Amino acid sequence: MTDSFILGLSSGSACLVTCGMVMFPYIMAGRGGVMKIVLDLSVFLATRLVIYFVLATLAWYFGQAFLTSGIVRTFVTGSLYVMFAIILIWYSIGRKKNMKCPAAIVTKVEDKRLVPVLLGVVNSIGFCPALLLILTKGAAQGSLAQSWLAFLAFFTGSSLWFLPLPFAGKLKKKQVIETIGIFATGLAGAIFIIKGLILITGGILNG
Amino acid sequence: MDNSSIAVSPKKTFGKALLYTLPMFLVTFMFITGGKPDFSDPARTVAILVTFFGMNLLYFLMHYSGKTDRYRAIIFVIFALTLSFTLIRNMILIRNSMSFSQADILECKIPFCHLVIPMMILPAALTKSIIFPGTILGGFADIASMVVLWLAATVVLGRGFCSWGCFYGGWDDGFSRLRKKPLVKKISDSWKWMPFAVLLLVALTAALTMIPTYCNWICPFKAVTEFEKVTNVESAVKAGVFISLFGGLVVALPVVTRKRTQCSFLCPMGAISTLSNRITPFTMKIDTNACTQCFKCVDSCPMFALTREGIKEGTVSMFCSKCGKCMDSCSRNAIHFGIRGVPAGTRKNFSRNLFLFVSFLFMAVFSSQPIVFTLNSLYNLIF
Amino acid sequence: MNKIKTTAGITWAFLGLILMIILFPGLSGFSKSFGTLPFMKINPRYSGGEVAFTQSAGACTLAVHKPVFNGLVRDRNTGFVQVDWRGKIPDQIRDTIDYDNDNVPDFVIAVDTKKPASDCCPLSGRVTGLGISSRTSFGWAARINLRKTP
Repeated sequence: MTDSFILGLSSGSACLVTCGMVMFPYIMAGRGGVMKIVLDLSVFLATRLVIYFVLATLAWYFGQAFLTSGIVRTFVTGSLYVMFAIILIWYSIGRKKNMKCPAAIVTKVEDKRLVPVLLGVVNSIGFCPALLLILTKGAAQGSLAQSWLAFLAFFTGSSLWFLPLPFAGKLKKKQVIETIGIFATGLAGAIFIIKGLILITGGILNG
Repeated sequence: MDNSSIAVSPKKTFGKALLYTLPMFLVTFMFITGGKPDFSDPARTVAILVTFFGMNLLYFLMHYSGKTDRYRAIIFVIFALTLSFTLIRNMILIRNSMSFSQADILECKIPFCHLVIPMMILPAALTKSIIFPGTILGGFADIASMVVLWLAATVVLGRGFCSWGCFYGGWDDGFSRLRKKPLVKKISDSWKWMPFAVLLLVALTAALTMIPTYCNWICPFKAVTEFEKVTNVESAVKAGVFISLFGGLVVALPVVTRKRTQCSFLCPMGAISTLSNRITPFTMKIDTNACTQCFKCVDSCPMFALTREGIKEGTVSMFCSKCGKCMDSCSRNAIHFGIRGVPAGTRKNFSRNLFLFVSFLFMAVFSSQPIVFTLNSLYNLIF
Repeated sequence: MNKIKTTAGITWAFLGLILMIILFPGLSGFSKSFGTLPFMKINPRYSGGEVAFTQSAGACTLAVHKPVFNGLVRDRNTGFVQVDWRGKIPDQIRDTIDYDNDNVPDFVIAVDTKKPASDCCPLSGRVTGLGISSRTSFGWAARINLRKTP
């Protein structure tokens, strides 16, 4: 649970930095005041939550289907952790080079009421190494409930960054928050590399 | 008090320097000997006298030569080495090993250090308890004393604690001085924000798991103090992380960059101390009238606290640990210890004298015990 | 304004000086006062929790602690119960423990203090196995892992 939360928290800053500024004008659009902003943000977050529950279910189902024996589960999960964590670190380093938000395309939709929903969908399933890590974790869980819990923790961690979105325009230290977020993402990657190494080494030693 | 702005030298005449050393001489004598000197044990007497005179000699030289960092670093590095020696010797005497056992955890006998503080804040607020297997009061390095010492030093010195009080900082400070010139000069300024990311992660993971995660998984100084006994894959990985981080951030990188990389890029306590720099009475100031913008101070700063833009604007960032290295490199005394609220370039010597007394007193008394213990042990070993 | 700032700054600096001078002689007193603050106690996850009841057998006293489940904001599903043997402990220990005092034994713990080796036999669905078992300065201590719901 904790590592899923931390993974969400650290990668959530990436979402905010790359996509926050794209979402911001659309979530803030209209003249409905605070209630409208809260409603749009809630729809956006609820969509993400639903998508994550679907992903958790799919990940667990595939985990049950393919990661059949304990040894396979340990080695595959450990190796995927290490691989995706390295990609996550690489991604966090490379993010300084003006990454574009994959959800930007959604803003071209004509019916603006759909924007928060579509933003939620694209933001949840958009390519991100952190998502690959949590999918791996979901697949390795013993029960569907555990997989849901892992995704819920990931969702909670990543969503915390979106709560102050209405104030994002007023943030003076955006650059500092972005830098700290980049490092936090890299550190979350390091945590998963260590987890992966422990799984693999434990698997080798235990036969 | 001097009010001139240009080229006020911190150097003093022999007599004046001696006069400035006298209060430190008396106060440290009182504190190091406890006011009741006991000279019955010759080894301990020699250790106390060497420590006492050595420290006061260095304080005298700070005033006489006008150099700060050169003499501060000597005690600071000795402090780090002797503290590790003291800890290791104590552990070997008590446990026959540098690793702690399950019994030490069960009995809450693990020595506490200030690096735990960032992780204990959230659980202390929410559960009204400390998530560390140490002792609240009494015993070696108890929690209450360490927190009080750190709190006082942080309120008064701010991040100065990292250069005048932290018993780990001396390790990378020492290694950063081994080469005369850095092999790697260009390091991105943004790395100095890394400790905030570490702070965020360790504070949250510690609160969620109720385990001091930095001590458990990251702390490079486990390599020179104490660590969990290697009994399984997890503890072996932990030991690997401790040793790699020590070798990389405390030894190798400081040697090649001449920067305190562990303190600047990893330490979560450094992040808290950085924030505390905003409230402390002592700050570094730049006298723009005296500054020739040679930027020697920027190159010499081991903590990435100075930038060329900052020097031009006359500002020092909150990352400053008040080590005084920039002052030693400035022939014009343009960068100087200052007091909050007092304009830059004024009362330079007054501010320096006051800051030196406060910071040196803390370092001298705090470091005296491990230094005396180490000298005492060496004396017994030799004679 | 500048004069006020300067005076305030110098006053603050002198207060710092006074604090440093009184810090070391007063450390013991400050620490004692600090140590009495409500949050200054070791979390039961580390201290083992309060002792629930004791039983004496000759020179050896068995202390069973209250079960520990505490988390950051609420209890967790997993935890442990600590049992200590204090005083003159025998070479072989074998005790049946009813940690929740419901008159139904929860586990049997056996310790060979000479080898040393420990074993725990769960008798209740709440007991999941042996956690830590180690010789201590006061005798022997063990932590048995529990879960809240069987």
